[in-house]
Amino acid sequence: MSRAVGRTTRRVVESDVCIIGGGITAAMVAERLAERTGASITVVEAGERTASLDERSDTRARMLAYGENPWPNDHIRGQTGTGAMYNSMVVGGAAMHWGGAVPRFSPEDFRLRSLYGVASDWPISFDDIEPYFQEAEERMGVAGEQGPPEYDPRSKPYPMPPLPLSYSLARMREWTEKTDIPFWTQPWARNTEPYQGRDVCRRCDTCFVCPTGAKYTPDFAFDRLLEAGRIDLVTRTLVRRLSLEPGSDRIAVAEAVDRDAPDEPVEFRAGTFVIAAGHAWSSHLLLLSANSRFPDGLANRTGNVGRYMTGHWYLSGFINLPMRLYPGMFVYNSLLSRRFASPGPLDRYVRHDLRLWESNVGRAPRLTGENGQLLWGDEIMADWRARTESESSARVRAYYDLLPDRDSRLTLDAGRTNELGDPMPRIDYRPAQESIGLQDHTVETISGRFEQLARAAGGSVRSIGRPSELWEHPGGGCRMGNDPATSVVDRWGRTHDHENLFVVGAPTLVSGGCANGTLTFCALSLMSAEEMQKELPSA
Amino acid sequence: MAESRRTFLKQSAATVAAVSLTGCAPGERAAETEGDALSRTDGTTPVPLPAATLRGVAEAVLPDELGEDGRERAVRAFERWSEALEPVAELSHPYLVPEIRYSGPDPRPGWAAQLEGLEKECESRHGVSLSDLEVPGRRELLARPLADTGPGLGAPQNADHVVAALLAHFFGSAIATDLCYGRAIRRELCRSIEGAEEEPAPLGAAP
Ligand SMILES: Cc1cc2nc3c(=O)[nH]c(=O)nc-3n(C[C@H](O)[C@H](O)[C@H](O)COP(=O)(O)OP(=O)(O)OC[C@H]3O[C@@H](n4cnc5c(N)ncnc54)[C@H](O)[C@@H]3O)c2cc1C
Ligand code: SF4
Repeated sequence: MSRAVGRTTRRVVESDVCIIGGGITAAMVAERLAERTGASITVVEAGERTASLDERSDTRARMLAYGENPWPNDHIRGQTGTGAMYNSMVVGGAAMHWGGAVPRFSPEDFRLRSLYGVASDWPISFDDIEPYFQEAEERMGVAGEQGPPEYDPRSKPYPMPPLPLSYSLARMREWTEKTDIPFWTQPWARNTEPYQGRDVCRRCDTCFVCPTGAKYTPDFAFDRLLEAGRIDLVTRTLVRRLSLEPGSDRIAVAEAVDRDAPDEPVEFRAGTFVIAAGHAWSSHLLLLSANSRFPDGLANRTGNVGRYMTGHWYLSGFINLPMRLYPGMFVYNSLLSRRFASPGPLDRYVRHDLRLWESNVGRAPRLTGENGQLLWGDEIMADWRARTESESSARVRAYYDLLPDRDSRLTLDAGRTNELGDPMPRIDYRPAQESIGLQDHTVETISGRFEQLARAAGGSVRSIGRPSELWEHPGGGCRMGNDPATSVVDRWGRTHDHENLFVVGAPTLVSGGCANGTLTFCALSLMSAEEMQKELPSA
Repeated sequence: MAESRRTFLKQSAATVAAVSLTGCAPGERAAETEGDALSRTDGTTPVPLPAATLRGVAEAVLPDELGEDGRERAVRAFERWSEALEPVAELSHPYLVPEIRYSGPDPRPGWAAQLEGLEKECESRHGVSLSDLEVPGRRELLARPLADTGPGLGAPQNADHVVAALLAHFFGSAIATDLCYGRAIRRELCRSIEGAEEEPAPLGAAP
C-alpha cells in the first residue's frame, strides 16, 4: 500500500507481526509464529541476500586461496559502530559466518547470585528454558554427543548423532581420559544425517562458509517460509525509529528507509513488534527512537537500555604432545568439557569451559632453521618433518564468565553517523568490580588446568596467552528481569514499558555465561515467541 | 618412498582434473593448492610473471623430492593462483571487528620486476641466465631477498618478494602437508563423513 505524504510517497506495509532484523533469532521467531499461528508476518532486514548455496563453492575457493570474504555484500557502508560488533548486516545476519558451535548455557548461569553471591539471577531457570534449547536444536539441526548428565543436562537426545572425531581428535580424547576432566564432542549445528533437505557434513573444514549446506544458516529457514508464503521478507530496508500510537505507550509504526529509494520512507504497521536486531542494533534502535514521552529512548523509563553489555573473555594456550597427529583432517571439530561451568560449591568464584583442538602451532614449515640459517627446498621439508614426526600440538581454550558492570554500556555516538545522519552505536564494555577482583584467580585456576592436561599427556604447556579482552558472543543492553527498575524486558522479552514490543535473544541476556551464546539467544527467542503466540490469530 | 610420492603427485593431478568446479563433490581438491577452481571477477589482465626465470627460481627453492613433474605442477599452480589474484579485495571479517579490511595493492608488477631484476643480476654477475646457473649459485642470488622475510611463510599474497610468495604458496598447500607427513591427509578436501577416525593412509596407498 502506498500513500502520498506531502511530496513524497510513503509505502505502508501492514501485518500482524513485524520482526526487525533478519538474523538467526529472527528466523527462530518467524518460523515458530508461522507454524503455530495464522498471523501475517513481515521480516525487515537492513541488508540484502548474500552468496546462495550454489555460489558458496566458488566463494569458498577464493577464501581459501586469498582470504577473501566469502559473503559478498554482507555489510552496509557507514552503518557501523565502535566496540566489539559484527559487521554482518545481511539476510541471515552474523550466523551466515558462524562456526555453528552450539553448547547450552549451564543451570548455574541462571542463578549466579543465589549460588555464588555474584552478579544477578535471571528471572528464568534452566528448567524453564530447557524445552526451548531442545526446540532450537531441532530447528537448526544439531549433532551432539550426550556428555555426563551432571554437566550436560538435557531431557531429550540431540537431533543427530555427533560429528565423528578425526584420527587426531580421537587420540587426544584418549589423552584426556587420563585426567579426571571429562571431555566429549562439541555439539554443532552441522548435519551428520540429511536434515531438512540439507546435505551431510563432508569434513572439508571451511565452516565459516559451508559449500554443502551441512551447516545451518538462517537463510535456509527464510527460504522455506518464503516458499510456503508464510512471511514477507523486506530486504535493504533499515528501520530508523519506532513511534507510538497517539496517547498510548503501544508501538504503532516502525519507520524505515528503503536503501534503493531513500526519499520514499516506508512504514511498517503491526499489532506486535519484535526487535531481533542482535546485541548492538537492538538497544541502538530503542535509543534512536526517543520521543517526548520517552526522552531517553523507548523502553527506557528506568534508564537501563544499553546497560549491562555482556559476553565472555577467554584464556588460550598450546600444549606440546608426545604423539604424532595429522592436523588438517577435520580441524573444525573439537572436544568440549563443561565440567567447570558446573563446578559445585566454590570458595572463590570462577567458572569456565574447556575446549581442545588439534593444532600445528610450532610445526608449520619455516624458512630458517634453529640457528637462523636460511633453509632451501629439501631442507625446509626435512626441518618440518623433524618437528612433526613424534610430537604435535594441541590448542586449549577456556571461555570464562565475566560479570558485566551496569556501566558496561552502549550509547549513541554523535561523532559517528551513517549516511542518513543517524548516530551510530558505541559500546564500552566494562567488567563489574567483583569480576576485576577475580581476574588473577581466574587466570591462575585455568592455567593450572592447562598444566594438568599437559602433564596427563606427558607433554608440556608450550604457551599461554594473555586473557582475550574481546567480549565474545556479546549480549545485553536490554536485560531481562522481574523488576522494571533494573531491567528492560520481562522473562518473555516483552518490554516493561510497551506491551506490544518485544526484544529477543542476545540483548536480553543478564550475564554472558562461559559458552558460545547463540543457542541460548535462539532458545530465549523461542520463549518470547511462545508468549507472542497468545495474542495472535491461531493457525 | 620416492615412488609412492610420485604416484601421489600424479594422483592428485588426476583428482583435480576429474572434479566439477561447483558444489563440493566428494574428492574435490581445495582450490588453494591447484588454482583450477579460481576465476577472476574484476575483468583486468594481470601482468604475467617471466616464466623461465620463475622456473629457474623454483628449481633452487622447492624440494628436489618433488621431481621435475611435481615442481612444474607446483609452479603452474602458483601461476594460476597469481593470475586469479584480485588486488584490494574485501577480506574475511575478523571476529567482532566492525571495520572492513581489504587486501593490498597488486603485488604482481613488483613480482615480475623482481624476477626480471634477478635475471639481469645473474647475467651481469655470471654471464648466464638464471636457469643455466648452478643451483648453489642461484641460491646465493636468492638469499638476499629472502633474508628479510623472517622464519614464517605467511600468506603468499602478502609476500614482499616473489620467491617468498612461491615458497609460501607451495609449502602452504595441501600437497606439501601430505608430503611432509607422508600421509594422505588431504586438507580441505570434501569427503565422506565415514571413516573419519582412521589414520590417514600412507602416500601412494591412498585411493
Ligand atoms: C565468524 C563468526 C563465527 C561465529 N561462530 C559462532 C559459533 O560457533 N557459535 C555461536 O554460538 N556463535 C557464533 N557466532 C556468533 C553468532 O553468529 C551470533 O551470536 C548470532 O548470529 C547473532 O544472531 P542475532 O540474530 O542475535 O543477530 P545478528 O546476526 O546480528 O542479526 C541481526 C540482523 O538485524 C539486522 N538489523 C539490525 N538493525 C536493523 C534495523 N534497524 N533495521 C533492519 N534490520 C536491522 C542486521 O542487518 C542483522 O542482519 C559467530 C559469529 C561470527 C561472526
Ligand atoms: S566441514 Fe562440514 S560443516 Fe564444515 S564446511 Fe565442510 S561440509 Fe560444511
